[in-house]
Amino acid sequence: MAAAIDGVLPATLQELVKKSKVLVVGAGGIGCEVLKNLVLSGFTEIEIIDLDTIDLSNLNRQFLFHREHVGKSKARVARESALSFNPDANITAYHDSVTSTDYGVNFFKKFDVVLSALDNRAARNHVNRMCLNADVPLIESGTSGYNGQVELIKRGLTQCYECTPKEKQRSFPGCTIRNTPSEPIHCIVWAKHLFNQLFGESVEDEDISPDAADPEAQEAAAEVKDADAAGDAADVNENKKETDSPPNANGNVVRINTRQWAKDCNYDAAKLFNKFFNEDINYLLRMSNLWKSRKAPVPVQWDTLLPDGVSSDAQELARQHHKIWTVEECAHVFAKALKELSAAFLKLEGNDTLVWDKDDQPAMDFVAACANVRSHIFEIERKSRFEIKSMAGNIIPAIATTNAITAGISVLRAFSVLQAKWEQCKAVYARLRLNGRNQFLVPDAFFPEPNPNCYVCASDPAITLRIDTKRVQIKAFRDEVLIKTLNMVNPDVTLESTGSIVISSEEGETECNEQKLLSDMNIVDGVILKCDDFFQSYELSIIIAHFDADREDVLFEVIADKNQLQPKEEPKEAEAETEPSSRKRAANGDDATDDGPSTSKRSRPTEVEDDDDDDDCLVVEEDDDDDVEEVVTEATDKLTEVSLQKTAAKRKPSKVLDDDEDITEILDSSDEEDAGPTKRKRTKLEETKAGEVISID
Amino acid sequence: MKMDVDKNTEEAGVELTEAENELYDRQIRLWGLESQKRLRTANILISGLNGLGAEITKNIILSGVNLVKLHDDKLVTEEDFCSQFLAPRESLGLNRAEASLTRARALNPMVDISADTQPLKEKTAEFFGQFDVVVINGASNEELLRIDTICRDLGVKFFATDVWGMFGFHYAGLQKHSYVENVFKYKVVSKPNEKVKYETVSTPVQREVEYPAYSNWLDFDINAPSYQRKLRRDGPGIILLRVLQTFRSENKRDPHYKTRTADIALLEQIRDELAPNSTLTSDALGLLFAQISPAVAVVGGVVAQEIIKVVTKMEAPHRNLFIFNPETCVGYVEAIGVN
Repeated sequence: MAAAIDGVLPATLQELVKKSKVLVVGAGGIGCEVLKNLVLSGFTEIEIIDLDTIDLSNLNRQFLFHREHVGKSKARVARESALSFNPDANITAYHDSVTSTDYGVNFFKKFDVVLSALDNRAARNHVNRMCLNADVPLIESGTSGYNGQVELIKRGLTQCYECTPKEKQRSFPGCTIRNTPSEPIHCIVWAKHLFNQLFGESVEDEDISPDAADPEAQEAAAEVKDADAAGDAADVNENKKETDSPPNANGNVVRINTRQWAKDCNYDAAKLFNKFFNEDINYLLRMSNLWKSRKAPVPVQWDTLLPDGVSSDAQELARQHHKIWTVEECAHVFAKALKELSAAFLKLEGNDTLVWDKDDQPAMDFVAACANVRSHIFEIERKSRFEIKSMAGNIIPAIATTNAITAGISVLRAFSVLQAKWEQCKAVYARLRLNGRNQFLVPDAFFPEPNPNCYVCASDPAITLRIDTKRVQIKAFRDEVLIKTLNMVNPDVTLESTGSIVISSEEGETECNEQKLLSDMNIVDGVILKCDDFFQSYELSIIIAHFDADREDVLFEVIADKNQLQPKEEPKEAEAETEPSSRKRAANGDDATDDGPSTSKRSRPTEVEDDDDDDDCLVVEEDDDDDVEEVVTEATDKLTEVSLQKTAAKRKPSKVLDDDEDITEILDSSDEEDAGPTKRKRTKLEETKAGEVISID
Repeated sequence: MKMDVDKNTEEAGVELTEAENELYDRQIRLWGLESQKRLRTANILISGLNGLGAEITKNIILSGVNLVKLHDDKLVTEEDFCSQFLAPRESLGLNRAEASLTRARALNPMVDISADTQPLKEKTAEFFGQFDVVVINGASNEELLRIDTICRDLGVKFFATDVWGMFGFHYAGLQKHSYVENVFKYKVVSKPNEKVKYETVSTPVQREVEYPAYSNWLDFDINAPSYQRKLRRDGPGIILLRVLQTFRSENKRDPHYKTRTADIALLEQIRDELAPNSTLTSDALGLLFAQISPAVAVVGGVVAQEIIKVVTKMEAPHRNLFIFNPETCVGYVEAIGVN
């Protein structure tokens, strides 16, 4: 309430604080701190939005929340707590997603400044666009561990949030996951896929059985196939793929079979264990080409490992989060978790499925145990449950002090913005260690120029989209490319040359196009599509560049800057393997999980896809472990992405990038959690500038 | 804390409970289990429960230390409502430390929190010796010198800190401090026939550093010719600190918003005496009243992070004078009395 006491603030600032309207996006780690600073400074017109609910692991830093608030709306509880600091403030709380169409450009125009404290890239991108359109200054912030970042985004003056490419998320080729894992993360991703196969939402491209179509194993695989034609449920997989043509059916049928088979076995731990860790491994061994230059896996067998059956102290064992379980211990935990999960699964009604959640004890135990058994088989280092949780849940570490510092800078920058002291608004980075000038809170020396080729804030934005037009359907184009990768909310798409409508934002209007391939709609190499998101007031031209994707290629790639368009001959794995491992991620903030949809706990009132806004930030950095990031990948929940239709035999992982993740350069961001499921890949645009910092949250 | 090393190693052996693991999960993932165990044994004194004191208290309690003593003999005033969020509105006129107890405890029921209202100047070595870290906020240079000396004798880690309006600093008196710092290197992890792949490897390195006494700051000559170039580069923050501490000792109070204009004039006068021709503007002198929440959050966050570094013996604490400039948001460290 500084502004309510005459003489505390300089008079001009006092008046501005008293009369300005402020929007805070996100009530997580940074958002709680920002809100406290705002009410104590004497702002009286404050609105705050967050769709998340309070989790126990938030309480080490989101100080407006206490134990009794767990499960409640962050926005609402934050409002109540902040009002106790200054009962004179008017705070409006929305327990909602900021990407909901309820919050259009006119909503944003009400505010003199917007402070964003999000934890995921998708929501940040959206808020960026809304603030650009509404011409409201945006103060973006993010943290990850010891690192924090605050930057002003103002139309015409600064770069926008999307001017600089963000680091992309790491993803893995399907055959690495299924056939030739070489790092713990590969086994963790595999274990999450296994969870989904047995209990989760059925997802294409998450097969866990050996992949006989692996080009490297091709010849050998052919023989194996014949030999095994009458194999058991698992092997049916491969056979079906080769023989069935109906595209969709394929994947699903297989999946249901594995699931059904497990159910028919009454989830017998020994049977399942032997299938995944013995029979399937033996099948892999027969693909002898794979092991010419690799160490061959060594299958394990239930009876040999546990001659005396399952011990009763598995529960106790599972609680030892920091211990690296032996393979025998993993088998005990596997049996325990399998029992719990199958019981929970059988209680579900209809086609409901379980959702993998790192905070769900049996789900996490299951993944930790399975990942470690597989690691053991492939002679990969085993990890503790604690470490696996970081990787599987994409957890970003988060502490109170970094959030407090970052939020403090954010509100000081808001003071400068209100006074139009733009020169004082350069981006600031908080770091653990001193730089060469003995600084650890470090402002930029200048405002970086807006990127003239930015596909968001440039005057006539355009991107080139490399895409396999013969394999991607219109629906996948909309969901994966326009919505998930380019962050549109409700796009309309027309062919520039003819004006014909490809995708309409009106419900049902273009539903008949959804299953068509791009090429069926005459969307081929060289065609220009006009995309328009009315809600974001965002128009974008997309120039199509067709390519025939290889097996491990992603089916599309956005090239934001034409100068980066290059023939691409990099090997398929390039993305997965070359990245120095280290980088990545960020994203989400505290708690938030980012990606979403899959984590069950978040309540999302609106159905909007994105999620969380929450908290802190993200940034990324490089020094974090790589681990984190990876994990994410998997899940893809929804979309089928591109899975291919045609070639049934190959499936490609679709990797998409996730949007949510942000990463950025900085490090730290957010706190937590998870990311999830979807992953998409983003293009290379990002790679280029990876060193910059960007994101925040 | 004579033998802090031994004490920490010994008590670090105690396992965290499941509840602690869950609550502190996101920070354990940053600083590790050993650090969290060390935090759990730490006893901290926060003297001076103004806005800055509240902010440091909040961060330290959230981190999961063993005990926090809130110490203050002053009463809650209207000015506290600019940043002292632990004292409710209804506590106006009550003791600031006692008024902060309820909300402080709600932040983390696992921490032992109590209040002490005896005047600082009556506190002797026996009192300070109960703590691993002592944080003094809002005291005169005379008092700071006295307590720093006591802490040096006892081996207790000492911090002096203040925020005036939006400007703030802290001074760290850690005597001989040893800590572990992770040094990061890239290592090639791919096999010879594979694509080159790197991994970041961190190697812990043990270091020991000496922190000078507070008297070094009092003796420090801001007008020394050898210092002028640095001053030009880093800005007039250090001059401002000297001006404010001089104001406090001459007037036995800090600049006050009710006498804003007159106090700015007094500050200008002190500035002109101490550092004629400095770049310290009168505009900057207009930002020094009460304690403004966002600036307090920055300084309080920094001080708390330093306390955590000290307790966990992880990473190098700032040596030794930290200055925050609210206009640029630069936070930098000046080594005073360090050769």
